[in-house]
Amino acid sequence: MVSIEDIRGLAQLARLKLAGAEEESLQKDISSILDYVGQVSAVSVSSEKEKPLLRNVMREDITTEVLGAREDLVKAFPTREGDFNVVRKIIQKDE
Amino acid sequence: MSSLAELTIVEAGKKMAAGEITAVDLAHACLENVEKKNKELNAYIEVFADVLEQAQKADERRKAGENHPLLGIPLAIKDNILIEGRVASAASKMLEHYVATYDATVIKKLREAGAVFVGRTNMDEFAMGGSTEHSAFGPAKNPHDPTRVPGGSSGGSIAAVAAHMALGALGTDTGGSVREPASFCGVVGMKPTYGAVSRSGLMAMGSSLDQAGPVAKTVEDTQLIYDAIKGIDPLDSTSIADGFYPAGIRNKKVGVPRALLAQGVDPDVKERFETSLEKLKAQGYEIVDIEIPSASLALACYYIIMPAEASTNLARYDGIRYGLSRKGATLAEDYAESRAEGFGPEVRRRIMLGTYVLSAGYYDAYYGKATAAREVLRREFAEALKGVEVITTPTAPAPAPKIGEKADPLSMYLLDIFTVTANLTGNPAISVPMGMVKRESAELPVGFQLTAAHGDEQALFEVGKALQ
Repeated sequence: MVSIEDIRGLAQLARLKLAGAEEESLQKDISSILDYVGQVSAVSVSSEKEKPLLRNVMREDITTEVLGAREDLVKAFPTREGDFNVVRKIIQKDE
Repeated sequence: MSSLAELTIVEAGKKMAAGEITAVDLAHACLENVEKKNKELNAYIEVFADVLEQAQKADERRKAGENHPLLGIPLAIKDNILIEGRVASAASKMLEHYVATYDATVIKKLREAGAVFVGRTNMDEFAMGGSTEHSAFGPAKNPHDPTRVPGGSSGGSIAAVAAHMALGALGTDTGGSVREPASFCGVVGMKPTYGAVSRSGLMAMGSSLDQAGPVAKTVEDTQLIYDAIKGIDPLDSTSIADGFYPAGIRNKKVGVPRALLAQGVDPDVKERFETSLEKLKAQGYEIVDIEIPSASLALACYYIIMPAEASTNLARYDGIRYGLSRKGATLAEDYAESRAEGFGPEVRRRIMLGTYVLSAGYYDAYYGKATAAREVLRREFAEALKGVEVITTPTAPAPAPKIGEKADPLSMYLLDIFTVTANLTGNPAISVPMGMVKRESAELPVGFQLTAAHGDEQALFEVGKALQ
């Protein structure tokens, strides 16, 4: 069983603000889902040593096509000043 | 005469080519049905204002000599596929007002073919669900019984086709999201080989699992849409060209993994399945038992890999660059509040689950094991498909449940037991209607699933046509 503290820790990692009641229902749901998916522990280790069939496919690091006009992308900013996206100051001076 | 919207794509194409009807007539027929049925079924989140203009343009293109099989055909598009200049919300509050800035590759291809986009369809938020109940804009309903779910997550696209509000549709399939609703609504739905169709412009959920897939009333129509959207694309590095995989075998053998069907399948669903096998036998196919020993692990494996990938992909929705944005006292609160308000409960659940299985101390036990199980499964499928043309199962173990019936998340996940495998292994799979079963007073459709070797969509179409 996953603890309430675990749920709070996960929510923080996932950047999700949870209400108290949801913490409890998630504790129950995630515990029962983990019990079910825990079946995969039955997979034998030897099979893990074979050369994997799945691999990452990376594209060349070159620009092929720009998707979307600049103005349309800028329009989507939640807060905009001219062509700039307004974000919160992250680095602050020591008080 | 019945509505023109009830025509198949093949029939409508012939009539347009012969000059008997126009694309505008077809569009009118679909819009009439939208007017009559969409309020109850909630299949479309938005019906586009320019459907008739699009149809008119298609008619002009035909006059100018064009004749693509999809020219002037009204299609419904799932709300997680980008169409430039139109809202694409993934049925989420997070993206309720988000306007797509470019066309998905599949949209670009359909546009070139001359298809008419009727609207964007309802879905489980960010494609997470099997019922279209997890939409921020209310559940979609099953046209065969509006007290039941249409399936999901592409439930709106499938309901739109089943209720003749479009002649075909695009959905996306990460664990059965095209095939399961196709089974529940009595239409054909297909998940292509991983990489056969570009994912550029699809909102990512599980990047190693996602594929866009066609929905239509017949196998022939499904094939027409598939032919229009497939192909290698420089914008998706995992996309592949025709001929990437060796040709599949042709020995008229159909494999049935009997052990997998031994329990958990409703008896009348199993009966329809056996009847369909008999139908194939009568057409010269040999039915053979096959073994896929790890198939029973597929669902567990899927519900580790999918949330792991989804929680990673959904990290981009942070309220900073686009989408719903809320301000808290700190930057961390800005993120946490935007995401709490933007995402619904099922999405939050899967993000939490994904974060858990990827976190230090649990990674090897869950994600590591699931990745190994996926490899084993892929090998077992490849081995089995050396001896048969297709592997068959029911698409889902039961017909469509009632809205609200599967409130416990795990019981809903269990409906995906036969569909997730093809996403894990990358094989192409299709659901074809196999008759009706009775629940209370309702006659409900159920689907027959075929899975073929990588790149062998042709086998799905051939055997699928034999079942119709």
